[in-house]
Amino acid sequence: MEKAGLYDPFYEHDGCGVGFIATINGQPSHQLITDGITILKNLVHRGATGGDLKTGDGAGILIQLPHSFLLKEAAKQKFNLPAAGEYGAGMLFLPHDNSVRKKVIALIEDIIYKEGGKILGWRDVPTCPGCLGRTAMDSMPYICQVFVEFPSLSGIELERKLYVVRRIIENEVSESGISIDEFYIPSFSSNTIIYKGLFVAPQFEEFYLDLKDKDFQSAIIIVHQRYSTNTFPSWPLAQPFRYIAHNGEINTLRGNINKMKAREKTISSDLFGEDTRRLLPVINTDLSDSGIFDNVYELLFQSGFSLEHSMMMMVPEAFGSKYHISEDKRAFYEYHSALMEPWDGPAALIFTDGVKVGAALDRNGLRPARYTITKSGRLIMASEFGVLEIQPEDVLQKGHLSPGKMILVDTQKKRIIYDNEVKSTISRRKPYRRWLEQNRIELRGLFQPPGPVITEPGFLNLLQKVFRYTLEDINMIITPMAENSQEPVGSMGNDTALAVLSEHPQLLYNYFKQLFAQVTNPPIDPYRENLVMSLMSYIGKERNLLEETPLHCHQLKLQHPILTNEDVDKLRNVTIEDFRTATVPIIFNVKENGKNIEKAIKKICDEVVRKVDEGYSLIILSDRGVDENNIPVPALLATSAIHHYLVSKGKRQLAGLVVETGEAREVMHFALLIGFGASAVNPYLAFETVADLKAKGKISEEIKLETAIDNYITAIKKGLLKIMSKMGVSTIRSYRGAQLFEAIGLNSAMINKYFPGTPSRIGGIGLTHIFEECLNRHRNAYNRNNRSNGLESGGNIHYRSFSEKHIISPEVVILLQKAVRENDYSLYKEYAELINNKIKNLCTLRGLFKFKKREAVPIEEVESEKSIIKRFVSSAMSFGSISKEAHETIAIAMNRLGAASNSGEGGEDEGRYNTLPNGDISKSMIKQIASARFGVTSNYLVNSRELQIKMAQGAKPGEGGQLPGHKVDINVARVRHSIPGVMLISPPPHHDIYSIEDLSELIFDLKSANPDVKVSVKLVAEVGVGTIAAGVAKGGADMVLISGHDGGTGASPVSSIKHAGIPWEMGLAETQQTLVINKLRNRVRVQVDGKLHTGRDVVIGALLGADEFGFGTTALITMGCIMMRKCHLNTCPVGVATQNPELRKRFTGKPEYLMNFMRFVARDVREIMAELGFRTFNEMIGQADIMEADNLSGNWKTKELDFSKILTVPLTNKKNKLHFISSNKYDLSNTIDIELIEKSGNALENMQCINMFASIANSNRAVGATLSAEVSKRYGSKGMPENTINCKFTGAAGQSFGAFLAAGITFELEGECNDYLGKGLSGGKIVVYPPKNSQFRPQNNIIIGNVSLFGATRGEVYINGMAGERFAVRNSGAVAVVEGIGDHGCEYMTGGVVVILGKTGINFGAGMSGGIAYVLDQDQLFDTKCNLEMIDVEPVVGKADHKRLYTLISNHIKYTGSEYAQGLLRDWTEIQPQFVKVMPIDYKKALERIKKAESKDTEVVSLTEEVY
Amino acid sequence: MGKITGFIDYTRKDYSYKKKEERVKNYNEFIILRSEQELRNQGARCMDCGIPFCHSVGCPVFNLIPDWNDLVYRNNWREAYEQLEKTNNLPEITGRVCPAPCESACTLSINTSPVTIKQIELAIIENAFKKGWVEPKHPFTETGKKVAVIGSGPAGLSAAQQLRRSGHKVVVFEKDYKAGGLLRYGIPDFKLEKWVIDRRIEQMEQEGIEFETDVVIGEDLSAHYLRKTFDAILLAAGAGEPRNLDIQGRGFEGIYFAMDYLKKSNKYIAGELKEHEIINARDKIVLVIGGGDTGSDCVGMANRQGAKEVYQFEILPKPRIWKEDWNPEWPGWPAILRTSTSQEEGCKREWSILTKKFAGSGIKLERVHCAKVDWKMNEATKKMKMVEAPGSDFTLDVDMVFLAMGFLHTEHNRLLKHLGIVFDGKGNININNSYTTNVPGVFAAGDASLGASLVVRAIYQGREAAKEINRYLMK
Repeated sequence: MEKAGLYDPFYEHDGCGVGFIATINGQPSHQLITDGITILKNLVHRGATGGDLKTGDGAGILIQLPHSFLLKEAAKQKFNLPAAGEYGAGMLFLPHDNSVRKKVIALIEDIIYKEGGKILGWRDVPTCPGCLGRTAMDSMPYICQVFVEFPSLSGIELERKLYVVRRIIENEVSESGISIDEFYIPSFSSNTIIYKGLFVAPQFEEFYLDLKDKDFQSAIIIVHQRYSTNTFPSWPLAQPFRYIAHNGEINTLRGNINKMKAREKTISSDLFGEDTRRLLPVINTDLSDSGIFDNVYELLFQSGFSLEHSMMMMVPEAFGSKYHISEDKRAFYEYHSALMEPWDGPAALIFTDGVKVGAALDRNGLRPARYTITKSGRLIMASEFGVLEIQPEDVLQKGHLSPGKMILVDTQKKRIIYDNEVKSTISRRKPYRRWLEQNRIELRGLFQPPGPVITEPGFLNLLQKVFRYTLEDINMIITPMAENSQEPVGSMGNDTALAVLSEHPQLLYNYFKQLFAQVTNPPIDPYRENLVMSLMSYIGKERNLLEETPLHCHQLKLQHPILTNEDVDKLRNVTIEDFRTATVPIIFNVKENGKNIEKAIKKICDEVVRKVDEGYSLIILSDRGVDENNIPVPALLATSAIHHYLVSKGKRQLAGLVVETGEAREVMHFALLIGFGASAVNPYLAFETVADLKAKGKISEEIKLETAIDNYITAIKKGLLKIMSKMGVSTIRSYRGAQLFEAIGLNSAMINKYFPGTPSRIGGIGLTHIFEECLNRHRNAYNRNNRSNGLESGGNIHYRSFSEKHIISPEVVILLQKAVRENDYSLYKEYAELINNKIKNLCTLRGLFKFKKREAVPIEEVESEKSIIKRFVSSAMSFGSISKEAHETIAIAMNRLGAASNSGEGGEDEGRYNTLPNGDISKSMIKQIASARFGVTSNYLVNSRELQIKMAQGAKPGEGGQLPGHKVDINVARVRHSIPGVMLISPPPHHDIYSIEDLSELIFDLKSANPDVKVSVKLVAEVGVGTIAAGVAKGGADMVLISGHDGGTGASPVSSIKHAGIPWEMGLAETQQTLVINKLRNRVRVQVDGKLHTGRDVVIGALLGADEFGFGTTALITMGCIMMRKCHLNTCPVGVATQNPELRKRFTGKPEYLMNFMRFVARDVREIMAELGFRTFNEMIGQADIMEADNLSGNWKTKELDFSKILTVPLTNKKNKLHFISSNKYDLSNTIDIELIEKSGNALENMQCINMFASIANSNRAVGATLSAEVSKRYGSKGMPENTINCKFTGAAGQSFGAFLAAGITFELEGECNDYLGKGLSGGKIVVYPPKNSQFRPQNNIIIGNVSLFGATRGEVYINGMAGERFAVRNSGAVAVVEGIGDHGCEYMTGGVVVILGKTGINFGAGMSGGIAYVLDQDQLFDTKCNLEMIDVEPVVGKADHKRLYTLISNHIKYTGSEYAQGLLRDWTEIQPQFVKVMPIDYKKALERIKKAESKDTEVVSLTEEVY
Repeated sequence: MGKITGFIDYTRKDYSYKKKEERVKNYNEFIILRSEQELRNQGARCMDCGIPFCHSVGCPVFNLIPDWNDLVYRNNWREAYEQLEKTNNLPEITGRVCPAPCESACTLSINTSPVTIKQIELAIIENAFKKGWVEPKHPFTETGKKVAVIGSGPAGLSAAQQLRRSGHKVVVFEKDYKAGGLLRYGIPDFKLEKWVIDRRIEQMEQEGIEFETDVVIGEDLSAHYLRKTFDAILLAAGAGEPRNLDIQGRGFEGIYFAMDYLKKSNKYIAGELKEHEIINARDKIVLVIGGGDTGSDCVGMANRQGAKEVYQFEILPKPRIWKEDWNPEWPGWPAILRTSTSQEEGCKREWSILTKKFAGSGIKLERVHCAKVDWKMNEATKKMKMVEAPGSDFTLDVDMVFLAMGFLHTEHNRLLKHLGIVFDGKGNININNSYTTNVPGVFAAGDASLGASLVVRAIYQGREAAKEINRYLMK
C-alpha cells in the first residue's frame, strides 16, 4: 500500500500468536506438522481479518527441510536431489506476470551459475487459492521452489554460500526495479523451509497442498499467526522469517537501523572474506520490524555467533544491580552493550537454524510464552496453554518463560537446554569479565558529587537571555527539579500555541513532539518496574561487530548521560591512550559567516569528521563562548546534523558525542538531544542557574547546592526514564538515536538534511527561520539599553499578558461563563468569535483552515439541534480528580440532553444507578476502563451504554496516573475500592493489553460482560495513530476516540502536557484516511476531543472525519472552572477539582449551564452547516476538501505550512463510506456462557442452587462474564448467596476465565488456564487444579497464566499450582491462595488478601498500597525479591493473622485437594513461622489512622512520590 | 509557587487607617501597612492562578501580581521589587491611590475576599526605597534623539522615564510650579504626600531627565520652537477641562470647580500659597456635587479645613448595598455602594438628586434648589433615563458648592492649535494604535487622549507611548 495523505504504511504494527513444537530427539514426523497446524488454528483468535472479513493478516510455518518429501517431488519433476544437507531449497514468491517472472528466473539462474552453483530443478508449489480472501487473492504471488547445489559445499558452509547468493539475488532484483511485493524469497536454505502467506490459520492448511503429504515431515515446526493493524498486509510480511518468528514489536527500530547502517562500513568477517561487502545492505528497510530483526540476526548467526549468542546480543536480559545474577553473565551483557544496543520492545521470539530451536522473551517479558514438555519427548511452546491437546498423563512439566529467559531444544544433542545452562555456557566462552576489567574506561571522579558552580551574575543573566530562559522556566521547572528531584506537575492540559504558530521566538526543541506507545506495544512502568531499565551506556570507538576482542570494550562507561561541569572538565583532560577527547564549538560567528548558517553547520560537521579521522574517540560539542558576535547554534540542530553526517560517512560508531550546552534545561531537551544521537549532555547553564537560585535563597535552606544539583540531575534522569518508558524502550543504549519524535512545523528540506527519518507532515519553517529566531534572541540579549535584569515571564503554563497566547484567555472564560449563566446566545457568539479569530487567537492548526464558499441551504432544512447534540459527550473526568458535585452535575446535564457523560477512570458510586426523585439520572452512560480498573465490576459494566478503554490520555499519553492520598477521601475510596488517604496509582500500561491482540481480547471480555454495550477505545493523536485505529476497528471496537495532545488532566508532568502527542486535526485526519482506505470506516464510529470550544471546531472535526465530539475543559468552565491549574493540589477554589469539603461548598455549577453550552454549540454547528449547504450531519463527515488553508492570515511562520495531507479525502465507493453506518454484529453466539445461562435459569430467577459440568478449551474465552452480567442485572453488585451457581470445567480454559465473576457463582476448573484468570473478579469463586490423573507436582508447574485477578474487587481464588507473572496485579479486594507465582506479584495491589505457599519472582509488591500478602519464605530470601519502596515485610505474629492464614489454607485444601498444602498443615508448627506478612506502609498507616478515628484532613502535599 | 493553602489558612487583612478623629486634624497620610509577617501571609493568600485575572483583566498596567505576591510570601522583597518595576514606573503612587481593579478581578473575589494586592504593592515599593534599591538607571548608550514631554502627570512621568532609559534626551515641560501634575495638585496630601512625588522625580533627574517647570508651551515657548528642537513630542497634559453645571445662579460667588479648590488647597499645604489665597471651607456649609473620587477628595479637604457641614449629591441612583467581601460582578468593577475614607470622616450623601438652581443674595450663594429623580429603563434604547419625581423639589442652604462632575477633555490650548492637532468627537486628542496624533512626530498619552481616567491607565499609556516613540525614533 502506498503512502496517501497522512497514511503511511511505515507505521503499521503487528501482534500475533506464535508457537513451536519440537521432537527432542530430532526424529521427524508428519504428525508434528499436523500438530503444528492445530496450534496455528487454536491461535486464530489472536490473529485478525481485514476489511473483506476473509483475508487473514498472515500465517505460516517454518520446518526442517523435508528431505524425503522433496526427493519424491523432485522425482516427479524429473530431477534428482543429493543427500540431505548437500543442497539448498529456496521458497520463492515470484511475479505473476510471465515475462517479468521469466526475467527474474533468468537472473536467479544466472547469479547461481556465476557463483559456482548448479540449479537442480524448479518446482511449482501446488496451491488451492480458492480458499483465500479477495485481498489475499489479488496480491498472491507465483509460488515456486528452486533447488540448488554448490559442489563441495555442505552443512554450514553451504548455508553461508546460500546466504551470500540470496543477498546478491535480492540486491540485483531490487536494483532492476522489482519491489518486495513482487519478488521475495521466504527461505533459501539447506536446513529449513518456510510456507507462509496471507491467511488465517484454517485457510493455510487448505492452501498449501504439500502440508497434507505424509512424507512432509519435520522434527521442528514454528508457527505464526499475524494480526496486523492495517488491512493491506502483504505476503512477504507474513511470518516466520528465515530464522525467527516474533510476537511483539521493536520500538527502537529507527535507531537500530541507523546504527546498523553506520556499522556496515566496518564489519568484516573471516568467514565471508570478500563476500562480506556483498551482503550489504544488511537490512531490507521494506520489511517489518520483525523482518529487519531477522536480517541482523541472520548476519550475526552466519558470521559465527551461535543462535543463543546472537539472541543474547540483540535482546539482552536486564542485568542491573538489582538482579541477583552471575558476575560472568553480567560481564557478558555489559561487554556486548559496547558492541550493540538492544533491539528493544516487547518480544517473544522463536528462533531456529533447523537443528536447534528455542524461544526467548525480552527483559520485560510482556508477551506470553508457555511450554509443556511431554514424557513422549516433545516440547510444545505457544502464546497460550491448551493449543494442543495433550493427555494429562503425558505431561512432564508445564512452564512459561520468565522475562529475559530462554529455552532451547537441541535436536542433535537430543536434549532440552534451559536458560541457566545456555547463558552460563555462552557467557564463559570468552573471558568477558577480565576484558572489561582491563579495558573498560571508568574515569575516576566521574559522577562524584558536583563541586561549586561558578557564576558571574551579569553574564549569567546575559546567557539566560541568549538561551531564552524565562522566569517560568526557572521558577516552575528548574526550581522544583532542584528541590524535589522531579519534574513539576501541572493540570488542565495545554492551550498554548504550537511552536510554529507562536509569535514568540521558540527553541528548536519545541517543534518536536514525543511519540509514545499505545495499543500495539505497551509502555513500561518506569517507577514500579524500573529494574528492567537502564541509563548506562558505553561511549567511544566501536569496533567490528562481527568480532570479539578485548579492545571492543575499550570505551568509556557512563552510568547515566547527564554530566556535571566537572565531569566535562575531566573528560577534556583525559590522558588515556587510544581514548582522546576533542572539543568542537557549535557556535556561529556572525562576522565570519554572515547569515549562512548552512555553511556554518557544514563546517562544524567537517571539523568533527576531521577530529574523528585524527583518532579522537570522544567529541565534545560545545556552545560555550557566546559573545556579541558568536551565536550558539541550536544544540539539537548541531547534534543531529553531526550525528547523521557521521552516519552517512560510516563514521558514527568511531566516536561518542557529548553535548555541552547552555540551552538544555528541561527533560524534553535532554530526551531530544539523546534521541538524536548525543551520548551525554552537560547543561552548564542550568547548573549555573541552580547555583544562582541557591545563592539567592530561592532553594530551601536545608538543601545544599551540591544536593540541589544532584536533585536536578536526578529529575532529568527520572524524566528520561519516563520518556523512554512511554515508548516502551528500556535502555538508553537503544533509545539513543532512535528518534522517537515527530516534528510539527519544520519543512522537508530541513528534516531531510538534519533530521532524516523524522516524520514532519505539514511542512513548515526551515533552517533560515530557525536561525532567525536564534538571532532575535541573541539580539535581544545584547540590546544593552534593555537594562532590565528581568527575564521574560514565559506564560507557557500560566497565562501572562503579552506572553504566549492561550486559547483559553481570561476573556474567553469570562464570556463563556456569562453566556451559559445568562443563557445568552449572543454572548456565546462573542466568545466563539474570540476563539475562532485566528488573528487574535492563533493557537491551533484549525485556526488556519477556511471553509470554501458553498451554496447555502435554509437553516430550517438542516438537521435539528437536538439531533446534533446527541453526538456530543462530556470527556472522561474521574470522580476523584473532580468533585462529586461537579461530576454529577455534568452527568445530569448530559443525560437530560440525551447525550452522554463519561465516568472517567475512578469508578462510579452505585447510588447513582438509581433515578433521582426529580427524574434526573446522575449515572454516566459511558464508563471508562483504565489501567487501574478502579471499581470496574460486573455491575459497573452492566450499568453502562458504552464502555471506553482508555489506552492513552491527551495530557500524558503513555503514562499512568496517580491520585494523591489527600484527594482520596472516604467516598472516593469507597468507589475505587480502596482505603481513604492512601495514594492510588494507575499503571502506565493496562496489564492485560500489551499488544493489539490483547486489546481485542479485552473488547471481547467487555462485550461478554455486557452484550448490549458498545465498546470504544481512546487513543491519542500521534504519527501512525491511523493504523492503530484500524487495528482497533479490526479488534471489534465500535468507536475510536482520537484525543488531541492538548486534552485536560487532573495531574500530569508538565513536560508531558507540553510535549507529548500532536493536535487532533492531524490524528483525526490520519485516522479517517486510514480507516477509509482500509474499508473499515463505515463500521466504526470516530470521536474526537481535545480543547473543542465552538461550533466551528465541531464542524472542522466532522469534516476531518469525526462522528462524535467530546468536551472536557469547556464543560468544566461552564461549571465554574477558571483554569486555576491547581487540580493536582486539591485546592480548586471553585469546588470543581477538589475533594476538600470546604472548597466543594464553593461549587456553583448547574446542569443548565452545561446544557446551555451544548445547545449553543449545536446551534452554532447548525448555522455553519446551513451556510455550507449540509442538510445532515452525516453528509458533512469526512468532506475535508471543502476546507482550504488560510495560512497567509497567520504570522510569518505559518505561511510555510502545508495542509494538503490533512485536507485530503480518500477515494471512496459504495462500500467505502466516509462516515459510520452500522456496527458489525459482534458474535458471542458460540460462547459457553449462552449454555450456562440457559441452565442457570432457575438459579438466576429463584436463587436455587445448581451444579453444572462443561468441557472447556483455550478458544473459550471470558467464560462466566455474561453469566455474571445476568446476576448483576438482577441482584446488583451484591450478587447471590455463595455457591448458588456451581460449574465444573475440564480442559484448558481460554483467556479471562471467570472474568468479572459475580458473587454467588463458583467455577471449578480441572486442567489449566491461560492469562487473566479472574480479571475484575466481582465476588465469585474460582478453583483451579491440574487434571486428577496428571503426575507432575503442581506446586512446581505453572497452571495458570499471567496477570490473574487484575482489577479484582471481591471474591475468592484457589490455585493448586503456580501462576505466571503479575499475580493479583491491582487486586483491590479478592482473596487468593496460590502455590507459587512469577515476577511482579501483587503489583499495585490496594486491597484483598493473597497467600503464596511457594516461591515468588522478583519485584514483589511494587506499588502495593493496600491489602495484605502472606508468603511462605522458606529460604529467607523473599525480601530480596521484593520491591521494598512501599511495603514492609513482617513476621506473622498476631492471632488474627494466624487464624486467617490457617483458615485460608484449609479452604485451599478443601477446594483443590492440594497435597502440598496438606503437607504444610501437617507440619504447621514448623511451617507457620516461615510465613511472612507483606504490609504496605501507607496502608498500615491508614489502618492505624482509621483505628484512631482520626479523619483529619492533612493539607500536606506529598512531593516525595511521583505525583502523576 | 506561593503557599498552596494560603487562601484557606489566612484571612484578608488590608491596611488599617488611623482613627478618623485623628486624621482629620491634619493633612497627613493615614494608612498603616501591616507588619512584615502579616504582609507575607497576605502574599501567601495568592493562589498563583493558571489565569491570573488580577494581572490580565484587572490591572491596567498588567502588573505581574502573582509573581510578586509569591516573592513577598517568600520574603524575597528585592526580587519582588524588580518584578514590580518591570511594569509600573510609579507603584508608590498606585499603591496609594489606585482603586485596585485588580482586587475586584482577583480569583478569590469570586467567592471570598481578594488578596490585598494594592497593600502589597505599596509595601514592596516603600521597602525598596527604604533599602536603597530604587536607584537611577542610566541608559547604556545615548541615541542623540530628543523628546519633549508636555505635562508631568503620571502619563508624562512614565513616558519620560521609559524614553530616557532607552537612551533619548528627555525634557519634561510643566506649566505649574512643580512637576507632578494631577498627582501633585489634584490629589490631596492625606491620600498622597508630596515627598512621594519628589522622591521619584529626584530619581528621574538623576537619570538625566530635565524638568522645565513653570513653562506654558504655546505661551512661553512656541510650538514651532518645540518642533524644531525636538525629534518627537508627547502630549500628556491631562484632561483639565471640567464639566460645568450651567444652571441658573451659576454666577454666584461660592461655586467652584472641584479641581480649582483642590489645587489651591494643595498648594497651600505645599507652601506655595498663603492661607488667604485659597478657597477655604472653614465653618462653611459645603455641598459637593458629584459622587466620584474628586468629589470625595473635596469632602475630605473640606472636613480638614473645618467645614461646618458637608453634603454630597449624586445624580445617579444609589448603588446596591453589598456587604460581602466577594465581588458579585467578578471579574468586573462591581456597581455597589462604596464609602471612601473621606466620606467616612463625615458627609451627608444623597443619590438621585438633580441640582436645578443656585440662589443667593447679592453675589453670595445661599442655597441650592434640587429635586429627586427617578431612573427608568428606556425599553427601546435599553438605556437608563432620568425623570424628575413630581413634587420632590427641595432646597438646601449652603455656603459653598464644589462642582465635581468630571472632566470633559484636555484643554484646547494654543499649543494644540498651533500644532494643528485633531480631536475626536469628545474633544480628546485623536490618536491611532501607535499613540500618534495626526501630526507626525507628535504623540499623545494619558487623559489628554483617553479622557479623564485612572492614574494607572495614564501610567500604562505613558509607557506604551514611549515604546512607540522609541520605535519611531529608531526607525
